Amino acid sequence: MAQQNPSRDPGALSPDDIDDLARRARDGDRAALDQLLAAVRPRALAICRSVLPFSADAEDASQEVLLTIVTKLGSFDGRSRFTTWMHVVALNAARSTYRRLKNQATPTDGVVLAERLAKPDPRTTSVIAGTRLDLLEAIDTVERTHPQLIEPLMLRDVYGLPYDEIARLVGSPVGTVKSRVHDARKMVRPLLAAGN
Amino acid sequence: MAQLTPEEEERYARPLRHQPHGVIGLIIVLGLFMAVMYWLSHRPADSGGSEAAPVQPVEPTPSVGGSAGLVPDDVRLEDALSEPVEDSVYPAKGGPGVDSLHYGLTLDWQPSTKTLTGEAAVTFRAAADAENFQLDLIPELAVSSVTMNGAEVDFTHEGKDLVIEATVVEDETYAAVIAYAGTPQPVAAPTSRSDIGALGWHITDTGETWTMQEPFGAYSWYPVNDQPADKAFYDFTLTVPSPMVGVANGELLSRDEAGGVTTTTWSLDEPAASYLSTVAFGDYVMEEVTSDSGVPISYWIPTAEPNSGKDLRALASLLTWAEAKLGPYPFSTLGIVLVDSESAMETQTMITLGNNSYIRSKEIVLHELIHQWYGDQVTPTDWRDVWMNEGMTMYLQGVYEAEQEGRSVNAKMREWAEYEVSARAADGPPGDYDPSEFGQSNIYYGPALMWHTLRRDIGNQRFWALVRDWPAAHDEGAATGGELNGSSDRDEYYAWVEDQTGEELTTFFDAWIMGAETPRE
Repeated sequence: MAQQNPSRDPGALSPDDIDDLARRARDGDRAALDQLLAAVRPRALAICRSVLPFSADAEDASQEVLLTIVTKLGSFDGRSRFTTWMHVVALNAARSTYRRLKNQATPTDGVVLAERLAKPDPRTTSVIAGTRLDLLEAIDTVERTHPQLIEPLMLRDVYGLPYDEIARLVGSPVGTVKSRVHDARKMVRPLLAAGN
Repeated sequence: MAQLTPEEEERYARPLRHQPHGVIGLIIVLGLFMAVMYWLSHRPADSGGSEAAPVQPVEPTPSVGGSAGLVPDDVRLEDALSEPVEDSVYPAKGGPGVDSLHYGLTLDWQPSTKTLTGEAAVTFRAAADAENFQLDLIPELAVSSVTMNGAEVDFTHEGKDLVIEATVVEDETYAAVIAYAGTPQPVAAPTSRSDIGALGWHITDTGETWTMQEPFGAYSWYPVNDQPADKAFYDFTLTVPSPMVGVANGELLSRDEAGGVTTTTWSLDEPAASYLSTVAFGDYVMEEVTSDSGVPISYWIPTAEPNSGKDLRALASLLTWAEAKLGPYPFSTLGIVLVDSESAMETQTMITLGNNSYIRSKEIVLHELIHQWYGDQVTPTDWRDVWMNEGMTMYLQGVYEAEQEGRSVNAKMREWAEYEVSARAADGPPGDYDPSEFGQSNIYYGPALMWHTLRRDIGNQRFWALVRDWPAAHDEGAATGGELNGSSDRDEYYAWVEDQTGEELTTFFDAWIMGAETPRE
């Protein structure tokens, strides 16, 4: 039996279709922008949920992702897949949501916040072995001293991109990317929760 | 069935686990619950049995092939011997008692009254001693009589269960002739795929008809053991008011017109599973060509839509492509009948193709062609192994697509890996899918990627030998102790691949076919 036509389901547009929509949206096609946002919305939510354990937070963050896509689309140069580009946008939005939650927390609701961030949501799953929170903390820590390592690490270990695509995306040779990922892992690993 | 609202979609959306090689995608579980409920509420009820009707024994015929006059002389029934089973995914359809060997279907279609009048001569081996035996047939088709060896026998027909009251002895061969008529209704499809509304016999606004019935639904137009382990030969005699004509599997033996009625006879010379049978009545123009390798090909193009035939003519060159990968085409004829469907089916030797540009594309036509080897020549004995059909077929489709697009198969598979992660998360492992989500992407992409991974591990030469030899190994014929157009399951497949490659692949297969997550490579 033939596979169902993938383009019937907006969530299942091919990467080529999505790239095409993104280029048209960037060039001012309003209908293409609407279609693009509809197509990538579930993906944005999934990325945020993979980082933020409480689903309401993930939903907030995914709204931010969509807004950021609209405002930053002009900077999408088409060198990488749109989905790759948006993944970076989404991870940044999720991280900034996390930081905001942490900063907003007052001593009195610290317990509530801790519970909220640590509460396992059955619909979410870990992006890397270990909790998401220690990963976020570890990334923040490493970023302070080695900001150039973070993007390759996220693209490799969270997004799962092949090295050659990461190299194209960040504009560095493959060998450089590999060694950055290697270095980043070495720095992040001791910061992750014990047992992982 | 209603689509989900965006809010509901979001509620069902769930993220993926870490996927070290592929790409994090995302899933919408397309109304899993609703589909389950829909399927449960629409599947035919199990019959309570048929205890009341008297049992009338029938003299068994002396040997296989002894169903006098009902089966053409050149059909060697022993080549259709199967081991019928109860399906693990769809146990209510078909069963282990009957091993059908030959269906002789005489079907008359009246478009004005939407009436199908049928006489089915079902020659079968009794797979067990029993006081009755059962075939599937929708209740909308009313049975007027059942005869065995010329004598009428009693029967009950509750729901889809046609229970024929005749004592049968294991391994003896019998023939039942069932007369029936009515307006066929397609049966509910166990899937939320939007291109498959229902299964079985469809009637268009203009009174034309077509069928597609994977994983079941042949019982919406003839009495059948509707489970894929049980393969049988088919002969068809089709009558319909001209200018319509009946099209079916196999070779067109004759076409006559008399008194405003067109009669065609068709014969399928190798056994087929019931989901691979097809009949279409419509106003068609037929074109014939011959492939480079000498296979006669026929295209059945709607008279009203001559342009839709353009795309089909690619089939001859696609056959040349496929034969270079898979070896000689396994059957004696090939064709395509274009119908008013939104999907496509690899119905044996006569592909049933929906009439839209996606379905008529070379990729989809090739897909159905590859299935003639993977699915039709070697067929799963149980629906849990439908991935055995779709995985290799999809892989070859991907190899072809990569060639056409001028990029590497690796690049193609990397793109598919993204779909695979989503597909597996949405609908489960390829070898353990939700019975109410038949035919979702999970049975296509994951197994295709598995074969690609194996190819990289064992090298091109050994890989392509496997691809060619597996279907051929199931086409040896009873005369040489094998099966003509046989059946298989995953255990046999795994063992065979291990045997051919000398590799220990238990973990490899288990991870790809049964794993909750896409395996690390």
